[in-house]
Amino acid sequence: MITVFIEPDNETLTFERHNTVLMLQRKLNLRVNDALVIRGDKLLTPDCQLKDGDEIRIRKVMSTG
Amino acid sequence: MKCRKCKAPAEVPLPSHNTAFCRDCFAAYFTGQVEKSIRRHGLINPGERVLVALSGGKDSLGLMLELSRMGFDVTGLHVDLGIPVSSLAARAKVEGFCTLHGLKLRVVELAKHGLPIPDVKKYINRPVCSACGKIKRHWFNRVALEEGFQVLATGHNLDDEVARLFANTLRWDAGYLSDQGPCLDAENGFARKIKPLYRLTEFETACYAFLNGIEIHTAPCPYSSGASFTGHKELWARLEYTSPGTKIAFYDGFLKRGRPAFAQVEQESGAPVAPCESCGSPTSTGTCGVCRLGIAVAERRAADPDRQ
Repeated sequence: MITVFIEPDNETLTFERHNTVLMLQRKLNLRVNDALVIRGDKLLTPDCQLKDGDEIRIRKVMSTG
Repeated sequence: MKCRKCKAPAEVPLPSHNTAFCRDCFAAYFTGQVEKSIRRHGLINPGERVLVALSGGKDSLGLMLELSRMGFDVTGLHVDLGIPVSSLAARAKVEGFCTLHGLKLRVVELAKHGLPIPDVKKYINRPVCSACGKIKRHWFNRVALEEGFQVLATGHNLDDEVARLFANTLRWDAGYLSDQGPCLDAENGFARKIKPLYRLTEFETACYAFLNGIEIHTAPCPYSSGASFTGHKELWARLEYTSPGTKIAFYDGFLKRGRPAFAQVEQESGAPVAPCESCGSPTSTGTCGVCRLGIAVAERRAADPDRQ
Protein backbone atom coordinates (compact mmCIF):
# COMPACT_ATOMS: atom_id res chain seq x y z
CA MET A 1 0.00 0.00 0.00
CA ILE A 2 1.21 3.55 -0.67
CA THR A 3 0.07 6.70 1.09
CA VAL A 4 -0.31 9.93 -0.86
CA PHE A 5 -0.55 13.39 0.75
CA ILE A 6 -1.88 16.07 -1.57
CA GLU A 7 -0.93 19.76 -1.08
CA PRO A 8 -2.33 22.36 -0.79
CA ASP A 9 -5.64 20.43 -0.51
CA ASN A 10 -4.42 18.63 2.68
CA GLU A 11 -5.95 15.40 1.44
CA THR A 12 -4.58 11.94 2.20
CA LEU A 13 -5.25 8.95 -0.06
CA THR A 14 -4.10 5.35 0.03
CA PHE A 15 -3.66 3.00 -2.90
CA GLU A 16 -3.40 -0.75 -2.67
CA ARG A 17 -1.90 -1.15 -6.11
CA HIS A 18 1.15 0.79 -7.14
CA ASN A 19 3.42 0.89 -10.10
CA THR A 20 5.02 4.04 -11.50
CA VAL A 21 4.75 7.75 -10.74
CA LEU A 22 3.18 8.27 -14.16
CA MET A 23 0.36 5.85 -13.31
CA LEU A 24 -0.20 7.62 -10.00
CA GLN A 25 -0.33 10.99 -11.76
CA ARG A 26 -2.86 9.65 -14.25
CA LYS A 27 -4.95 8.25 -11.41
CA LEU A 28 -4.95 11.70 -9.81
CA ASN A 29 -5.70 13.36 -13.15
CA LEU A 30 -2.43 15.30 -13.11
CA ARG A 31 -0.12 16.10 -16.03
CA VAL A 32 3.66 15.65 -15.60
CA ASN A 33 4.34 19.28 -14.69
CA ASP A 34 1.15 19.94 -12.69
CA ALA A 35 2.71 18.87 -9.40
CA LEU A 36 5.93 17.89 -7.68
CA VAL A 37 6.03 14.22 -6.72
CA ILE A 38 8.13 13.95 -3.57
CA ARG A 39 9.49 10.92 -1.72
CA GLY A 40 11.55 11.90 1.32
CA ASP A 41 13.94 14.62 0.17
CA LYS A 42 13.85 13.62 -3.50
CA LEU A 43 11.74 14.55 -6.49
CA LEU A 44 10.49 11.65 -8.59
CA THR A 45 10.24 11.58 -12.37
CA PRO A 46 7.28 9.86 -14.10
CA ASP A 47 9.21 6.64 -14.78
CA CYS A 48 10.16 6.07 -11.10
CA GLN A 49 8.79 2.89 -9.55
CA LEU A 50 6.71 3.16 -6.38
CA LYS A 51 7.22 0.62 -3.60
CA ASP A 52 4.98 -0.87 -0.96
CA GLY A 53 5.02 1.39 2.12
CA ASP A 54 6.00 4.53 0.17
CA GLU A 55 4.80 7.86 1.51
CA ILE A 56 4.43 10.22 -1.42
CA ARG A 57 3.78 13.94 -1.25
CA ILE A 58 2.04 15.54 -4.24
CA ARG A 59 2.58 19.31 -4.25
CA LYS A 60 0.43 21.04 -6.87
CA VAL A 61 2.30 23.97 -8.39
CA MET A 62 -0.40 26.22 -9.84
CA SER A 63 -0.70 29.34 -7.70
CA THR A 64 -4.20 30.67 -7.43
CA GLY A 65 -3.64 34.15 -6.13
CA MET B 1 15.01 8.98 -16.50
CA LYS B 2 18.58 10.34 -16.65
CA CYS B 3 19.94 13.87 -16.49
CA ARG B 4 20.61 15.15 -19.99
CA LYS B 5 23.90 16.75 -18.91
CA CYS B 6 25.59 14.36 -16.49
CA LYS B 7 23.53 11.14 -16.90
CA ALA B 8 22.88 10.88 -13.12
CA PRO B 9 19.30 9.92 -12.11
CA ALA B 10 17.05 12.87 -13.00
CA GLU B 11 14.73 14.62 -10.53
CA VAL B 12 13.21 17.32 -12.74
CA PRO B 13 11.41 16.27 -15.96
CA LEU B 14 10.92 19.14 -18.44
CA PRO B 15 8.83 17.97 -21.41
CA SER B 16 8.75 21.52 -22.84
CA HIS B 17 12.50 21.27 -23.36
CA ASN B 18 12.36 17.55 -24.16
CA THR B 19 14.80 16.97 -21.30
CA ALA B 20 15.31 16.19 -17.61
CA PHE B 21 17.90 17.27 -15.05
CA CYS B 22 19.43 16.03 -11.79
CA ARG B 23 19.27 18.57 -8.95
CA ASP B 24 22.77 20.01 -9.55
CA CYS B 25 22.30 20.43 -13.29
CA PHE B 26 18.79 21.85 -12.70
CA ALA B 27 20.32 24.49 -10.37
CA ALA B 28 22.74 25.46 -13.15
CA TYR B 29 19.90 25.52 -15.71
CA PHE B 30 17.74 27.71 -13.42
CA THR B 31 20.57 30.20 -12.82
CA GLY B 32 21.29 30.20 -16.56
CA GLN B 33 17.69 31.11 -17.39
CA VAL B 34 17.68 33.99 -14.88
CA GLU B 35 21.06 35.25 -16.17
CA LYS B 36 19.76 35.06 -19.73
CA SER B 37 16.70 37.17 -18.83
CA ILE B 38 18.82 39.77 -17.03
CA ARG B 39 21.37 39.98 -19.85
CA ARG B 40 18.94 39.91 -22.78
CA HIS B 41 16.66 42.63 -21.41
CA GLY B 42 19.17 44.67 -19.36
CA LEU B 43 17.14 44.08 -16.20
CA ILE B 44 19.77 45.03 -13.58
CA ASN B 45 22.85 47.19 -14.03
CA PRO B 46 25.99 46.85 -11.86
CA GLY B 47 25.67 48.57 -8.48
CA GLU B 48 21.88 49.00 -8.60
CA ARG B 49 19.78 48.35 -5.49
CA VAL B 50 16.96 45.88 -6.10
CA LEU B 51 13.71 45.78 -4.15
CA VAL B 52 12.11 42.31 -4.40
CA ALA B 53 8.38 42.00 -3.77
CA LEU B 54 7.87 39.00 -1.45
CA SER B 55 4.46 37.35 -1.06
CA GLY B 56 5.76 34.26 0.74
CA GLY B 57 5.16 31.99 -2.26
CA LYS B 58 7.64 29.87 -4.18
CA ASP B 59 8.27 32.39 -6.95
CA SER B 60 9.11 35.48 -4.93
CA LEU B 61 11.19 33.67 -2.31
CA GLY B 62 13.02 31.68 -4.99
CA LEU B 63 13.75 34.88 -6.91
CA MET B 64 15.09 36.60 -3.81
CA LEU B 65 17.40 33.68 -3.03
CA GLU B 66 18.66 33.38 -6.60
CA LEU B 67 19.35 37.12 -7.00
CA SER B 68 21.19 37.22 -3.66
CA ARG B 69 23.31 34.21 -4.70
CA MET B 70 24.12 35.98 -7.96
CA GLY B 71 25.55 38.82 -5.87
CA PHE B 72 22.90 41.50 -6.38
CA ASP B 73 22.10 44.02 -3.62
CA VAL B 74 18.59 42.86 -2.75
CA THR B 75 16.03 43.91 -0.13
CA GLY B 76 12.68 42.20 0.30
CA LEU B 77 9.37 44.06 0.53
CA HIS B 78 6.33 42.32 1.99
CA VAL B 79 2.91 43.95 1.90
CA ASP B 80 0.85 42.65 4.84
CA LEU B 81 -2.69 42.61 3.45
CA GLY B 82 -4.37 42.34 6.85
CA ILE B 83 -6.44 39.24 5.95
CA PRO B 84 -7.10 37.20 9.10
CA VAL B 85 -5.05 33.97 9.35
CA SER B 86 -3.82 34.06 5.74
CA SER B 87 -1.73 37.25 6.02
CA LEU B 88 -0.23 36.22 9.35
CA ALA B 89 0.92 32.92 7.85
CA ALA B 90 2.36 34.52 4.71
CA ARG B 91 4.22 37.17 6.67
CA ALA B 92 5.69 34.55 9.04
CA LYS B 93 7.10 32.62 6.06
CA VAL B 94 8.66 35.76 4.58
CA GLU B 95 10.18 36.87 7.88
CA GLY B 96 11.49 33.36 8.62
CA PHE B 97 13.03 33.10 5.15
CA CYS B 98 14.80 36.48 5.36
CA THR B 99 16.10 35.77 8.86
CA LEU B 100 17.39 32.33 7.81
CA HIS B 101 19.28 33.72 4.81
CA GLY B 102 20.35 37.01 6.40
CA LEU B 103 18.42 39.08 3.86
CA LYS B 104 17.08 42.61 4.37
CA LEU B 105 13.28 43.00 4.63
CA ARG B 106 10.78 45.88 4.67
CA VAL B 107 7.14 45.29 5.66
CA VAL B 108 4.21 47.58 4.77
CA GLU B 109 1.04 46.94 6.80
CA LEU B 110 -2.04 48.01 4.85
CA ALA B 111 -4.08 48.24 8.08
CA LYS B 112 -1.79 51.07 9.23
CA HIS B 113 -2.62 52.93 6.03
CA GLY B 114 -6.40 52.46 6.35
CA LEU B 115 -6.71 49.91 3.55
CA PRO B 116 -6.77 46.37 4.98
CA ILE B 117 -8.02 44.09 2.19
CA PRO B 118 -11.04 42.79 4.18
CA ASP B 119 -12.32 46.39 4.31
CA VAL B 120 -11.65 46.86 0.60
CA LYS B 121 -13.65 43.69 -0.08
CA LYS B 122 -16.48 44.83 2.18
CA TYR B 123 -16.81 48.44 1.08
CA ILE B 124 -15.69 48.58 -2.55
CA ASN B 125 -17.94 47.30 -5.30
CA ARG B 126 -15.31 45.89 -7.67
CA PRO B 127 -13.39 42.58 -7.88
CA VAL B 128 -11.20 42.46 -4.77
CA CYS B 129 -8.26 40.86 -6.64
CA SER B 130 -8.09 43.85 -8.97
CA ALA B 131 -8.14 46.39 -6.11
CA CYS B 132 -5.64 44.34 -4.08
CA GLY B 133 -3.25 44.16 -7.04
CA LYS B 134 -3.51 47.90 -7.57
CA ILE B 135 -2.76 48.61 -3.89
CA LYS B 136 0.23 46.25 -3.84
CA ARG B 137 1.70 47.74 -7.02
CA HIS B 138 1.23 51.21 -5.55
CA TRP B 139 3.25 50.31 -2.43
CA PHE B 140 5.93 48.44 -4.36
CA ASN B 141 6.56 51.51 -6.48
CA ARG B 142 6.25 53.99 -3.63
CA VAL B 143 8.75 52.19 -1.39
CA ALA B 144 11.15 51.70 -4.31
CA LEU B 145 11.15 55.43 -5.13
CA GLU B 146 11.05 56.79 -1.58
CA GLU B 147 13.86 54.53 -0.38
CA GLY B 148 16.22 54.86 -3.33
CA PHE B 149 15.87 51.52 -5.12
CA GLN B 150 16.54 51.69 -8.85
CA VAL B 151 14.83 48.38 -9.61
CA LEU B 152 11.66 46.65 -8.44
CA ALA B 153 11.69 42.88 -9.06
CA THR B 154 8.66 40.60 -8.93
CA GLY B 155 8.51 36.80 -9.09
CA HIS B 156 6.17 36.55 -12.09
CA ASN B 157 6.91 33.32 -13.95
CA LEU B 158 6.14 32.21 -17.49
CA ASP B 159 2.71 30.83 -16.50
CA ASP B 160 1.75 34.13 -14.84
CA GLU B 161 2.93 36.13 -17.84
CA VAL B 162 1.21 33.93 -20.42
CA ALA B 163 -2.07 33.98 -18.45
CA ARG B 164 -1.90 37.77 -18.19
CA LEU B 165 -0.99 38.21 -21.85
CA PHE B 166 -3.87 35.93 -22.79
CA ALA B 167 -6.31 37.96 -20.65
CA ASN B 168 -5.04 41.23 -22.12
CA THR B 169 -5.37 39.80 -25.63
CA LEU B 170 -8.93 38.58 -25.02
CA ARG B 171 -9.83 42.21 -24.22
CA TRP B 172 -7.46 43.66 -26.86
CA ASP B 173 -6.30 45.98 -24.11
CA ALA B 174 -3.83 48.13 -26.03
CA GLY B 175 -2.63 49.94 -22.90
CA TYR B 176 -1.51 46.76 -21.15
CA LEU B 177 -0.33 45.09 -24.37
CA SER B 178 1.92 48.09 -25.06
CA ASP B 179 4.13 47.50 -22.05
CA GLN B 180 3.75 43.92 -20.79
CA GLY B 181 7.14 42.25 -20.64
CA PRO B 182 10.11 41.35 -18.48
CA CYS B 183 11.28 44.96 -18.19
CA LEU B 184 9.35 48.18 -17.86
CA ASP B 185 11.76 51.10 -17.87
CA ALA B 186 11.68 53.78 -15.17
CA GLU B 187 9.71 56.84 -16.26
CA ASN B 188 7.11 59.36 -15.09
CA GLY B 189 7.50 58.49 -11.40
CA PHE B 190 7.66 54.73 -11.86
CA ALA B 191 10.68 52.65 -10.82
CA ARG B 192 12.03 50.13 -13.34
CA LYS B 193 10.01 46.94 -12.97
CA ILE B 194 11.58 43.62 -13.84
CA LYS B 195 10.50 39.97 -13.99
CA PRO B 196 13.68 37.86 -14.02
CA LEU B 197 11.76 34.55 -13.77
CA TYR B 198 9.73 35.10 -16.94
CA ARG B 199 11.47 32.26 -18.80
CA LEU B 200 10.77 29.72 -16.02
CA THR B 201 7.50 27.89 -15.46
CA GLU B 202 5.62 27.49 -12.21
CA PHE B 203 6.76 23.84 -12.10
CA GLU B 204 10.39 24.93 -12.39
CA THR B 205 10.12 27.57 -9.63
CA ALA B 206 8.37 25.00 -7.42
CA CYS B 207 11.23 22.53 -8.04
CA TYR B 208 13.77 25.27 -7.22
CA ALA B 209 12.00 26.11 -3.94
CA PHE B 210 11.82 22.45 -2.92
CA LEU B 211 15.41 21.61 -3.85
CA ASN B 212 16.66 24.65 -1.92
CA GLY B 213 14.63 23.85 1.17
CA ILE B 214 12.57 27.06 0.97
CA GLU B 215 9.57 26.99 3.32
CA ILE B 216 6.74 28.54 1.34
CA HIS B 217 3.24 29.81 2.01
CA THR B 218 1.03 27.44 -0.01
CA ALA B 219 -2.52 28.20 1.12
CA PRO B 220 -4.46 30.04 -1.58
CA CYS B 221 -5.77 33.50 -0.81
CA PRO B 222 -9.25 33.07 0.77
CA TYR B 223 -10.56 35.80 -1.53
CA SER B 224 -9.18 34.50 -4.83
CA SER B 225 -11.63 31.69 -5.64
CA GLY B 226 -12.98 32.07 -9.14
CA ALA B 227 -10.15 34.37 -10.25
CA SER B 228 -10.08 34.30 -14.04
CA PHE B 229 -6.28 33.85 -14.16
CA THR B 230 -6.63 30.37 -12.64
CA GLY B 231 -8.94 29.31 -15.47
CA HIS B 232 -6.56 30.78 -18.07
CA LYS B 233 -3.62 28.91 -16.53
CA GLU B 234 -5.53 25.64 -16.68
CA LEU B 235 -6.33 26.25 -20.34
CA TRP B 236 -2.66 26.95 -21.12
CA ALA B 237 -1.51 23.90 -19.14
CA ARG B 238 -3.64 21.78 -21.48
CA LEU B 239 -2.18 23.48 -24.56
CA GLU B 240 1.36 23.03 -23.25
CA TYR B 241 0.71 19.36 -22.52
CA THR B 242 -0.42 18.63 -26.05
CA SER B 243 2.14 20.97 -27.69
CA PRO B 244 5.22 21.38 -25.46
CA GLY B 245 6.90 24.77 -25.90
CA THR B 246 3.70 26.65 -26.80
CA LYS B 247 3.85 29.02 -23.81
CA ILE B 248 7.35 30.38 -24.37
CA ALA B 249 6.74 30.60 -28.14
CA PHE B 250 3.55 32.64 -27.56
CA TYR B 251 5.26 34.95 -25.08
CA ASP B 252 8.54 35.40 -26.96
CA GLY B 253 6.59 35.99 -30.18
CA PHE B 254 4.57 38.72 -28.46
CA LEU B 255 7.74 40.43 -27.19
CA LYS B 256 9.28 40.39 -30.65
CA ARG B 257 6.29 41.13 -32.87
CA GLY B 258 3.26 42.16 -30.79
CA ARG B 259 4.45 44.53 -28.10
CA PRO B 260 6.30 46.97 -30.42
CA ALA B 261 3.14 47.48 -32.47
CA PHE B 262 0.97 48.14 -29.41
CA ALA B 263 3.65 50.41 -27.90
CA GLN B 264 3.52 52.57 -31.03
CA VAL B 265 -0.28 52.89 -30.86
CA GLU B 266 -0.15 53.75 -27.15
CA GLN B 267 2.55 56.38 -27.67
CA GLU B 268 0.16 58.20 -29.99
CA SER B 269 -2.92 57.95 -27.74
CA GLY B 270 -1.79 57.29 -24.13
CA ALA B 271 -3.03 59.61 -21.37
CA PRO B 272 -0.38 61.94 -19.81
CA VAL B 273 0.85 61.04 -16.31
CA ALA B 274 1.38 63.48 -13.40
CA PRO B 275 2.00 63.13 -9.64
CA CYS B 276 -1.08 62.29 -7.52
CA GLU B 277 -2.40 65.40 -5.73
CA SER B 278 -2.51 63.44 -2.47
CA CYS B 279 0.44 61.01 -2.31
CA GLY B 280 2.66 62.04 -5.23
CA SER B 281 2.48 58.67 -7.00
CA PRO B 282 2.13 58.82 -10.77
CA THR B 283 -1.41 58.91 -12.13
CA SER B 284 -3.38 60.10 -15.13
CA THR B 285 -6.42 61.05 -13.06
CA GLY B 286 -5.41 63.84 -10.62
CA THR B 287 -5.85 61.73 -7.48
CA CYS B 288 -4.44 58.21 -7.91
CA GLY B 289 -6.59 55.08 -7.78
CA VAL B 290 -5.24 53.96 -4.40
CA CYS B 291 -5.90 57.33 -2.73
CA ARG B 292 -9.43 57.26 -4.17
CA LEU B 293 -9.90 53.74 -2.79
CA GLY B 294 -8.62 54.93 0.60
CA ILE B 295 -11.12 57.80 0.66
CA ALA B 296 -14.03 55.56 -0.38
CA VAL B 297 -13.19 52.88 2.21
CA ALA B 298 -12.81 55.49 4.98
CA GLU B 299 -16.18 57.10 4.14
CA ARG B 300 -18.08 53.82 4.00
CA ARG B 301 -16.38 52.50 7.14
CA ALA B 302 -17.38 55.65 9.01
CA ALA B 303 -20.99 55.20 7.86
CA ASP B 304 -21.09 51.48 8.73
CA PRO B 305 -23.21 50.94 11.88
CA ASP B 306 -21.30 47.71 12.59
CA ARG B 307 -18.08 49.72 12.96
CA GLN B 308 -19.42 52.46 15.24
